[in-house]
Amino acid sequence: MNAIVRARDLAVDYTMPGGVVRALDGASFELLPGRSLGLVGESGSGKSTLGLAIGRLLPANVRHAAGDLEVDGRSVFALDDEGIRALRRTSLGFVFQSPMAALDPTMRIGRQITLACGGQPDVGRVPELLQQVGLPKGAARAWPHELSGGMAQRAVIAMAIARRPRLLVADEPTAALDTSLRAQILDLLVALKNETGSALVLLSHELPVVARVCEIIGVMYGGRVVELGDSAGVFSRPLHPYSRALLATAHDGARPGERLAPIPGMPPVLSGPASGCSFAPRCAFADERCRSERPPLRPIGGRLAACHHADGTAPERGSGMSSGM
Amino acid sequence: MRLLLHIAARMGMALLTMLSVSLIVFVAMRMLPGGFEMIILGPIQTEEARAVITEQFGLDRSLPEQFLSWLVAVLHGDFGISMITRIPIADEILRRLGATVQLTAMAVITALCVGLPLGVAAGLADSSTSVRTCGRLVGALGASTPDFVLGVALVYIFSVWSLGLTVGGYVPFFEDPLANLRAMILPASTLSVFGIALILRTTRESVLTVMTEGYITGAVARGDDPASIVRRHVLRNASLPVMTVATIYLSLLLGGAVIVEILFTVPGVGLYTWNALLNRDYGVTQSAVLLFSGVIVTCNMLVDIAYALVDPRIRGRRQQ
Repeated sequence: MNAIVRARDLAVDYTMPGGVVRALDGASFELLPGRSLGLVGESGSGKSTLGLAIGRLLPANVRHAAGDLEVDGRSVFALDDEGIRALRRTSLGFVFQSPMAALDPTMRIGRQITLACGGQPDVGRVPELLQQVGLPKGAARAWPHELSGGMAQRAVIAMAIARRPRLLVADEPTAALDTSLRAQILDLLVALKNETGSALVLLSHELPVVARVCEIIGVMYGGRVVELGDSAGVFSRPLHPYSRALLATAHDGARPGERLAPIPGMPPVLSGPASGCSFAPRCAFADERCRSERPPLRPIGGRLAACHHADGTAPERGSGMSSGM
Repeated sequence: MRLLLHIAARMGMALLTMLSVSLIVFVAMRMLPGGFEMIILGPIQTEEARAVITEQFGLDRSLPEQFLSWLVAVLHGDFGISMITRIPIADEILRRLGATVQLTAMAVITALCVGLPLGVAAGLADSSTSVRTCGRLVGALGASTPDFVLGVALVYIFSVWSLGLTVGGYVPFFEDPLANLRAMILPASTLSVFGIALILRTTRESVLTVMTEGYITGAVARGDDPASIVRRHVLRNASLPVMTVATIYLSLLLGGAVIVEILFTVPGVGLYTWNALLNRDYGVTQSAVLLFSGVIVTCNMLVDIAYALVDPRIRGRRQQ
């Protein structure tokens, strides 16, 4: 089966007033149709950039530097403007952080969902979508400001799935919501994925949350995917030192008042390709090789990790992606 | 019910504004050196002759008495007669209203027709393109050139090279439409330049702001084409500040109309008011100012209503 989305050594640069910042530094992953992938990382790890890159939605000051990104077999950076618009319409659905901002304040919800359907949906399509995302039929008549944050995000999700995308990309879809609503919205996304057969890429900084709802986890650091594998495995036995550190900071299971272990040091800000492992300055296991030689993303114990020391042996060259992802 | 109360309160405020404006203008005019009797009779006259005039027109009464009697008459729909021509003021103003309305309408329509599309284009264009630079330049120049400077320049230029346009020589539109337009194009253009700049700048800023909103990113992410994104989302959301500014422009126009009507001798309400002020024809100035303030207050109320029509959030707030 062909992957619905596949990134190969993708690198993109932001042109800032102070110079160039490399946001993605050779990110690779792939996802099969109908599967769910959670991309986890700190802010600055490049996960949002990767999420936007899937729809070529990057701001104007971003340059595609190297590598490739394919959605549904088409290279998004090679498409012309109408081509990428067609791809967004037919294959992609996006859910962003802030649901209130994502709705046009001057338009009723029903009208916005109608437009998201392509303008002239079948009779009954809008009520069907509302029902799918758990909104009452009456919500079609509502204005965005009349909805709560949770309802607004449901409306946004209804718009994202309106044209039955093959891939749903959700970038921190619960960050702007009440804690009590977060699980509901994530469960809704997973339920819709299972119901419609679309694939799901969920971007989050909370490893436990992603591990609960996604089948596969990709851990991002310094603009790369540093570990990729099935959720249970990554969550229970992380291979990459950064994954382990990230898991240790997770507050799930921590008792109130207990101090969380922060990862010492700061995430890197790259201006070009990192020469070695970008986690090396913060890593307890780093040696000279880590600083001078880039660790490739290679198969270790049924998953992929980009670390020279993940298995205690020398890296195997020329590794491909493991199947099933 | 709350809505009706709100409207009633707004109208009360509007009337209060008009009353205050009338009062201020009344006091200001009476503080000007040289009253009506000085203007009519000239400086070399006896006190007795002046007393006859002031008594004849009731100018010898106390100021509060004069203001109150004027106010009562106006509330009964009687604007009095011009002390100079002895013709009812209402008739005099109505006769001149056509030219001013035409001038204002031409200026507003030109400003909107030029300013809106340029503003939208400048707002949508990338920062590097010439459209945006051009928009900035036109905006800055137009907004900072005073009417009287531009008007004088146009009078000078078109007095030398007519190019088919006339400076002065106003003819009512329905007598000779062509001659009317030839006389009105220059004054209307003078007035519209500031409006073009104002509306262009506001539209550009507003469009730029809307373009960064999440719902625009959302529409882009859904693969909508740029033209329909502009049509469906940008124009409507960007229109609110533009409407406010267009109203402010309309208010400024009435002031600008006075200057431009004087410069181009357009026989409108502005020129009439100016002459009345010079002649200390108190009733005329009072009535004209009342009319101007009435127009401004009404425009502001209309914009309020238009706001509510465009933005459901404002409707919601009102009804709560």
